[in-house]
Amino acid sequence: MHPIETEKLTKLYGKTKALRELDFTLDEGEIMVLLGPNGSGKTTLLLILSTVLKPTSGKASVMGFDVINQSTKVRQVLGISFQDARGFWRHKPIEILRFHATICGVPRDRRERLIEEILKDLELWDARGKLFMHLSGGQAKRLEVAKLLVQRPKLAIFDEPSSQVDLRGKRIIWDHICKLREDGSTVLVATNEVREAEYLADRITILDEGVKVACNTLQSLKDSIAGGDIVELEFEAKDNKDMAEALGRLEGTFRVTKEEENHLRAYVSMAEEWVPKMANICYQKGVKVVSVRVTEPSLDDVFLHFTGRALGAASS
Amino acid sequence: MSTILRLIWFDLKQELNPPIWIIMEWVVFGIQLAVYGALISRLVTSMADYLQFYAVGFVIMMTFEIGSHTGRHFVEHAHEGRLPYLLSLPIPRWKLFLTVALQGGVELALMLTVPLSVTLSIIGNLTAISALSAVATLFWLGFGVSGLMLGLSFIAFRSADLYTAIVTALSTLIIRFSTVLYPMIFLPASYAGAAAFSPLTYGSDLVRFFLGFDPSMLVNPQIAIAVLTALAVSTLGLSAMLMQRIVEGVKSG
Repeated sequence: MHPIETEKLTKLYGKTKALRELDFTLDEGEIMVLLGPNGSGKTTLLLILSTVLKPTSGKASVMGFDVINQSTKVRQVLGISFQDARGFWRHKPIEILRFHATICGVPRDRRERLIEEILKDLELWDARGKLFMHLSGGQAKRLEVAKLLVQRPKLAIFDEPSSQVDLRGKRIIWDHICKLREDGSTVLVATNEVREAEYLADRITILDEGVKVACNTLQSLKDSIAGGDIVELEFEAKDNKDMAEALGRLEGTFRVTKEEENHLRAYVSMAEEWVPKMANICYQKGVKVVSVRVTEPSLDDVFLHFTGRALGAASS
Repeated sequence: MSTILRLIWFDLKQELNPPIWIIMEWVVFGIQLAVYGALISRLVTSMADYLQFYAVGFVIMMTFEIGSHTGRHFVEHAHEGRLPYLLSLPIPRWKLFLTVALQGGVELALMLTVPLSVTLSIIGNLTAISALSAVATLFWLGFGVSGLMLGLSFIAFRSADLYTAIVTALSTLIIRFSTVLYPMIFLPASYAGAAAFSPLTYGSDLVRFFLGFDPSMLVNPQIAIAVLTALAVSTLGLSAMLMQRIVEGVKSG
């Protein structure tokens, strides 16, 4: 049984198709990142899984419970941190967390200690007595994340957990999400931030216009781009005429270009396997290598490869 | 049950901190009764004590107004993002809808405590049963109006302006074409025909019946009980069903 399983999941808003026959699974104990631009269907998927929205057609289950017929059971095993932290204008952070922890069944003996710990970790302790409407955007967002960190559900869902949060705050939130996984939760994170995805993901699912276009580990996604790794080679001698040809024949080489007399650039697949083979050839030919620099494709490149658009351009 | 009480208290705490809206309702009632009510009752000579009639009528109008806020609050919660949060909590849907209805009831009780006490003291000479029956009628009417407004609130998901316009027009018609401010026997035939379709006619006349007003100028209390019951049951049932369909089918935030 997968913690999350969807089959041909479709959601329509009028004539707009937010999700199109989505098949999606999540493995136990992993952090899965849903990566996609605004409007790609990430939030819709999360809202359906958390039973806030009903799908138009298709099936979805959470921990084996059907999201339509067993919705209360689904809500008992998951928690969701929403994209927008709103709606409790005249409550204080500590009251909101107490309410959330109590409703979600966090035992009384652990509740206060956990709330204090999380508020301090997320640097909200000093603001615990402020009204929600007086919090900054970043504080409100951290409070939204704090609800889930206090709840510690079996399945934790975060919708853009670090948007509006400064760099230091982002790191703290990401570390807490990783800790949640270490403590036994399965985690689903939706984001359009490449850094967030790279930091958190065990696996990444790329969504575009309601369709799953790829799903794998970050490394496998990068490796799946033919010629995506770039290896820059600098030789001691300037005359290395046959090296470009020899390297071009190596398995995994996409193309080789000569940048300068003693400088080659090779576009390869899986540089970690290609570089040792290159070293053997250099050794056999007696060519001395001065420097090797490997550049992997970024997640932006991965997104571009699978969707034909840059992530930033798609978001805008 | 503790979950429902906790949910109600969590929201209600906001209203009471400080209870400015509740006190304002009491102040408005006091001024309206002391100034307008007192003066108009001197003008009205065809009825023994119009002030008593007017006080009950104003409490009915307040009940309608407070009940009609429920639908608006519900939609505001949806737009503010609180509703998706509540829908994601591990609470069965029926408990959540019961909470919305009960919360409306508790707010109604708080807002009406002083106006109703003042009205009962003006009328005087009441038994506990008649006073309690009048209070129960007000709650029953409040539930019916809340249900009606919750049912209508699906319009607000499309356009808040349209919802406001419709509710304003509806409240104007429902209050004016009813027996809230004048008895049925006083109404011209065409107005009386329209008043027969207003739930406030049955609410206000039933409350007056329990408070000892002359039954000859009121609608039949059995018919009033039947109409109010049908209104509360049908609108709350319908709105619970509509809400489940609409809320879970609408994109949040």
